[in-house]
Amino acid sequence: MPSFKFYIVSVGLLVSIISCNKKVDVSYGIEDIAVYETKAQKQKAKNEAEYISILYTNLFQEAISPATLYQTQNVLYSIGDQNVAKEMLLSNYFNRTDLKIPTEQYMRSNIEGFVIETYKRFLLRTPSEAEKTYFIRYITNNKDVTVEMVYSAFAASDEYGYY
Amino acid sequence: MKRKEFIKKSATLIGGGIVAPYILPSGRLFARTGTEKAKHVVLVMFAGGVRQQESVLGRYLEDSQGVTGAVGNIMPNLFAGNAPDKKVVYGLDVPGEVRGTDPIPRLLDNAMGEQGMLFKEVRAQSAGHYVGLNTLITGSTGVAQGLKVRPNSPTIFEYLRRHRGFSATDCWFLGNGIGNSTPLLNSSDNIDYGLDYGGNMFIPPVTFGSSGRNTLANAKPYSNQELEPMYKMKSFLDQSFALEKAFQTTIKNTAEERTRIKTFIRNTFIKQGLGQIQRPPSGSGGDATTVSYAAEILKEFKPRMLALNMSQVDGCHSNFTGYLRALHRADHITGWLWQYIQNNIPEMANDTIFIVAPECGRNLNPNPIIDENDWFAYDHSDYNARRVWSVMLGKNVPAVQVGSESNAVGRLTDIVPTIADIFGVYDDVKGSGYIDPLATSQFMRL
Repeated sequence: MPSFKFYIVSVGLLVSIISCNKKVDVSYGIEDIAVYETKAQKQKAKNEAEYISILYTNLFQEAISPATLYQTQNVLYSIGDQNVAKEMLLSNYFNRTDLKIPTEQYMRSNIEGFVIETYKRFLLRTPSEAEKTYFIRYITNNKDVTVEMVYSAFAASDEYGYY
Repeated sequence: MKRKEFIKKSATLIGGGIVAPYILPSGRLFARTGTEKAKHVVLVMFAGGVRQQESVLGRYLEDSQGVTGAVGNIMPNLFAGNAPDKKVVYGLDVPGEVRGTDPIPRLLDNAMGEQGMLFKEVRAQSAGHYVGLNTLITGSTGVAQGLKVRPNSPTIFEYLRRHRGFSATDCWFLGNGIGNSTPLLNSSDNIDYGLDYGGNMFIPPVTFGSSGRNTLANAKPYSNQELEPMYKMKSFLDQSFALEKAFQTTIKNTAEERTRIKTFIRNTFIKQGLGQIQRPPSGSGGDATTVSYAAEILKEFKPRMLALNMSQVDGCHSNFTGYLRALHRADHITGWLWQYIQNNIPEMANDTIFIVAPECGRNLNPNPIIDENDWFAYDHSDYNARRVWSVMLGKNVPAVQVGSESNAVGRLTDIVPTIADIFGVYDDVKGSGYIDPLATSQFMRL
């Protein structure tokens, strides 16, 4: 018959086998990947409210008030040529003092960076090489091109009207 | 290459180069100008549901409210006939007297219906507003027309732009409000015509009202030269995006036209601030505002085709007295617009045809709602609501009265082929297959 000592040793051995696992330190992380839209994915037209509120946020870095949004929406709807309506709206926005856009000096000092930032800001994507090259050349070669003009072109573009 | 062959090919190339820029969107080389009856057309889509009894028939309260002897004409600028002398409530307010006892003095020496063609009894194709407006602007019966969508059939603007080669700023639609699908009437989304040929549009009570002023009046004045880089960059972006026609959501003007419209908007706000927008003498409310800005657009753009919509008469659903007042005022502001063209726009004065027609009528029997004078109100849903009239006057329009209460002549869908006839593109419009097969030019109805 097994002795008491045998039981004690067996239990001790069993406990040590079960309880003594080597601790494995596992940790999970997230790899930074930039996600942008592509032109091909933009197939839904923004409605007036979406267009205005996104534009307002882009230019003033704050949300538009519901009352102003409603009023602006009605006015855009009351004009037949939406390009005219949007250009007029932009022209009014660019005449405001609380506009938050880069300076001319900033644009001229780093045109490539400005072009990439503008694409991300308005079109939520990075420019293709051809697009980047076009804008860098155009801004470099035309000294009278202003930030306002570049922003107006992006905000009035067909692509900006879609998501 | 042989000499003869070289000469032949060169001649073809040069000839093509000369001709190509003049080919119309419809594919025709020259517009049919030989039969043009007038250079400009103004269409007034009148008022928002008008009963024959109180308008062209001049029966005032006798027919509608059973007030014996209260008959007469309350639309003196449109129709001939003496004003009522009993229970006058449709005019201006005189302090100390019953509201509306002072009729607005008539503006025109001769009523429009006497100066031109008056179709006294015309069949409307619908008893409702939006389909009625569609009928007036597309010439189709609008049977399958839904609300909150663009017209199914091409509008007169699209016909004229495609077949007559008019520019976008040659064609204007002015609405009275942004509700009830009205802002969609400047273009259909028809696959053969659509937004590429649509007309320009404003809704003056909104575009130039307090909302418009708050939103648009502070615009920077850019010159074309200043805008050129912006348009170049935008053009590059648009080419890169390559938006398909099926996704197009707006009519398009050329860059020059856009600049002109923006300048007009800016200048209009300046004139407005200086109190220089002319209004009808006794005009108030949205319809008078629409007509005032129509006058501004006519003066600036001298459009070949302008259509405007008025709607204040529609208060008849619940207030018959208000309806009578609105009818009287709608007549006044319509007369004023015709007079304004004659007196203030020399380029259009003797070269315009002016057309006025309601989009639908109103019921024979009233609803139970009574107003301040205990008079019953009228809706529009029965056969009587499909009885309307039309007036046309101006260059090359004979003075003639057609039809009678017992002899209806013509359909409301006639208006589009009539305008097409005026501009010499009747066959193109009839041949499009989109208009009411029974519609024809009113000139041909005579």
